[in-house]
Amino acid sequence: MSAAQATVAARPRRRSEVSERRLAAYLVSPSLIVIAIVAAYPICYAIWLSLHQYSLIHPGLSRWVGLGNYRDAVTSSEFWSATKITFIFTVISVFLELVIGLGMALLMHAAFRGRAVLRAVVLVPWAVLTVGTAMMWKTIFDADLGFANQVLQALHLPGGHTVWLGQNGYAMAVMIFADVWKTAPFMALLLLAGLQVIPDDVYEAAKVDGATAWQRFTTITLPLLRPAILVALIFRTLDALRIFDLPFVLTQGSNGTTTLSLYAYQQLTQNRLIGPGSALAVLTFVIVMAVSFLYIRLVGGNIRALADET
Amino acid sequence: MSTEAVAQPAGRTRTRAKARAKVGKGPGRGGQVLLWLGVILTIVFCLFPFYWMINTSLKTGAELSTGHLFPHHPSVDNYTSIFKNSDFTTALKTSAIVAGGSTIIALTIGSFAAYALARLRFKFKFLILAIILSTTTFPPIAIAAPLFKIWTSNSIFGYHLYNTYPGLILPFLTFVLPLTIYILTSFFQEIPKDLEEAALVDGATRFQAFRKVVVPLAAPGLVTAGLLAFIFAWNEFLLSITLTSSANRRPVSAAIAFFTGSQQFEIPLGTIAAATVTITVPLIALVIIFQKRIVAGLTAGAVKG
Amino acid sequence: MNKKLASAGAILACAAIAAGCGSSGGGSTGNTVAGVGSNGKTVTPDMAKNAKGNVTWCIGKDTTGAFSQVVKLYNNQNSGVHVKLLELPTSADQQHSQLTQREQAKSSECDILGMDVIWTAEFAAQGWLRDVTPAINARKSEFIPATLGTAQINGKYWAVPFNTNAGFLYYNTSKVKKAPTTWQEAYQMAKTDGGLGYQGARYEGLTVNFLELLYSNGGKVLSDDGKKAEIDSPQAQQVLSFMQQGLKDGAVPKSNSTWMEEESRNAFQNGKVALLRNWPYVYALAKQAGVKFDLVPLPKFGNGQPASILGGYNLGISTYSKNPGGALSFINFATGPAAQKKFFIKSSLPAVITQTYNDPAVKKAQPFAPELLKAVQQGKPRPVSPVYPQISQAIYNNVYSALSSGTSPKSALSKAQSQINKALNTF
Repeated sequence: MSAAQATVAARPRRRSEVSERRLAAYLVSPSLIVIAIVAAYPICYAIWLSLHQYSLIHPGLSRWVGLGNYRDAVTSSEFWSATKITFIFTVISVFLELVIGLGMALLMHAAFRGRAVLRAVVLVPWAVLTVGTAMMWKTIFDADLGFANQVLQALHLPGGHTVWLGQNGYAMAVMIFADVWKTAPFMALLLLAGLQVIPDDVYEAAKVDGATAWQRFTTITLPLLRPAILVALIFRTLDALRIFDLPFVLTQGSNGTTTLSLYAYQQLTQNRLIGPGSALAVLTFVIVMAVSFLYIRLVGGNIRALADET
Repeated sequence: MSTEAVAQPAGRTRTRAKARAKVGKGPGRGGQVLLWLGVILTIVFCLFPFYWMINTSLKTGAELSTGHLFPHHPSVDNYTSIFKNSDFTTALKTSAIVAGGSTIIALTIGSFAAYALARLRFKFKFLILAIILSTTTFPPIAIAAPLFKIWTSNSIFGYHLYNTYPGLILPFLTFVLPLTIYILTSFFQEIPKDLEEAALVDGATRFQAFRKVVVPLAAPGLVTAGLLAFIFAWNEFLLSITLTSSANRRPVSAAIAFFTGSQQFEIPLGTIAAATVTITVPLIALVIIFQKRIVAGLTAGAVKG
Repeated sequence: MNKKLASAGAILACAAIAAGCGSSGGGSTGNTVAGVGSNGKTVTPDMAKNAKGNVTWCIGKDTTGAFSQVVKLYNNQNSGVHVKLLELPTSADQQHSQLTQREQAKSSECDILGMDVIWTAEFAAQGWLRDVTPAINARKSEFIPATLGTAQINGKYWAVPFNTNAGFLYYNTSKVKKAPTTWQEAYQMAKTDGGLGYQGARYEGLTVNFLELLYSNGGKVLSDDGKKAEIDSPQAQQVLSFMQQGLKDGAVPKSNSTWMEEESRNAFQNGKVALLRNWPYVYALAKQAGVKFDLVPLPKFGNGQPASILGGYNLGISTYSKNPGGALSFINFATGPAAQKKFFIKSSLPAVITQTYNDPAVKKAQPFAPELLKAVQQGKPRPVSPVYPQISQAIYNNVYSALSSGTSPKSALSKAQSQINKALNTF
């Protein structure tokens, strides 16, 4: 499956082609070796672990269960609950991040002074340590002493006594909010770069043709932004599917916030169920890979283009 | 036919004001107000939690449980106590070593791979790129448990890698390396080929051309990739808590999550805030200085279409 | 392009074929702690005599400073052993994770493991603790017998009791005029006098709180032979409905579902609740904060007998410790009269040796000492089992679901029962 090769130039290149291949091999192999050691091998080992059970009562004893752990996982309500929660979180947060990010990008694209300041400001959420901000959100949304409730009460708005992190739905809302805060700016930057390549004359021409602002947005901006949007979507979706830090710090998974990664982690570390826990980890991996393949089908052209551009 | 003559849109949306602004004539007055509203909202949205963190870090004792917007008795006690706390300073050192180490390794071998992918012709290029990129999608939990077992059971040259620097640097490469390859490949592609061709004509080998011509030109790309990789590694949490257990090998993200507080505070909120601010300020400074580069790096490939 | 998918599929397919049809496998051996006793690293009293070197004591956060004081006292004796205190997070679950992670990695970082009593069986089963039977036997008469029960598995002792614990009901005397004698009365008072708080977050503390009511109502978690779960009973449903009702009609604040020990203590000290179920450690801190309060042993549920759950911490010596003698030397000091008195007075950490309760200084500082001694002597342990974490999770996950999400007691308890049975049959 070699990519479309450029036609060979007039000058005979056979020897340098071979040496090119050899050089390429030398250059690429360190990376591939590292990836094989730290990514491929552990995944295979995780699959191996998931096919066994390790005794909690007799240390060192293990037995082969084949796909037994997987069967237990897919018949357990906790697994499906975690999957559902993960997908709900992903869909909502990625959608919000896209919309808010797009809004911010359009804002920053405005031709006015202070754009540099805005760009710097927008990078702050992304630069702050994730775990640190998660702890801040936890205290801001504390039911009794948190800032959020204090503000709501001071303004006499409803919901000032909500137990944010102790109620189904609300806990998820806080998690989504925390994630959107951190990554909408990231999306904004990705989209801004996409906006900036759209030449102004396209808009001029459209204006001349009488298009309204909204029409210009939907027929020019959005389609031309499509590649940027897709790349941003891929990265964010895959990140959201793997979310761990936020539920771990905010709720430890209570009240409908146990995501797949957190569920697998708890089985592995709190319960020390290495076999079942590994099966869950592998299932999480499979789900994330499946989604990424779906995306690649959509965006596959970009990667091919990258590969072909030599 | 001038745009100033266009009437104000009825239901004003930010996008409409924006679209008009793009044309360069600037938004009308209503749009201008909306614009500034949007700007203020954005600034508050982005900066308020960070401000809140600074606010909290300057509070002590009972005031920590109040919602005061400004500390009534600001004090730097939290900061002095975290720096006296050797666990925190050690964690800083560990994070620097681990994030820095993995970044440097990734930049080195990643730039080799990126050059090959960008410049050379060879078979399976697409497959290799796909493999490398797919590694970025690995959920850390999938490699955390096997790595824990491997690091604790098997010794390499007599060393168990659990709770060591290499024990973290290596797994970090799982996501740091593909990221740098992805960014650097785009950067290398943008460097015009003629410079290398010229060097080759002058008798340099491919590798010399790479070292002497391409790398200096790609320096901005390397800085960008390095910065992004460093930030991602800095933030890593799951592997950090799974593959370490003692305070002197724990990176800062894990240390903060397990802060017991260096004083007899019931809930070490002030110190956690101080710690987070301390760590974040240099990062923010770096990010602001290099913002153009960072954006270029993040969008590499996105804009290519 | 789908080569990767294909190869991944191939791996799984090969594994599936190799696996044959589903789980084969040896039978599980029930919940006997069979792994215990196999590491053969016994600690005898004379090992402590001429011990030298460094010892690290790993235990959860010291909220009152007493731990570091005792460590300093010991180090000042200059016996040749130097002890370092390594504090783990406040949350018991995180302490558990950090200790198990180190032991799984065979780390020698922690010589002395400060374990919640409920982990002792689990750690012993995994071979992480040294047999300390000779060391205990040399001083057995000093300890309160019930506390030794938490460290004894299969006839041997695997840890030394460090402090014990039994819950009490604190009440703010400016709001609540007389102490309630039943839980029903307490909740009634809470409705009018300012609320009742306990540990309602989704963690081990909730198991304790639930069991205190359950045992008093005559319910059980396991059958008498310990082989199956009996938690889905009318008594348990009654208790769970009662707790649910407390939240519904405002006797217990809704934020209770996020409270562990510290949060509930703060709520009591800040006046958010007028009644509080918590451990004795609150006594010293609340007194310091100037709150006007009193405390009584836990009330009974309806017509049942009052019940208290035995809590506390044991000190185990890690199998991988490089200085077991030094560890024992410090443990003897920390469980000796001087240190136990200090812990009791300064941090309200109930002593495990009987003589402390008779010390006049202790009786003066902790006037409730006699009741505490009685509560401990009559305290019931939580199920002693190497799979206790799973049993406890089955309880607290489902109780939490009933309290926080409104799941019906019947379905919550039947789910808990099936989960506990599954845990008991863990391989």
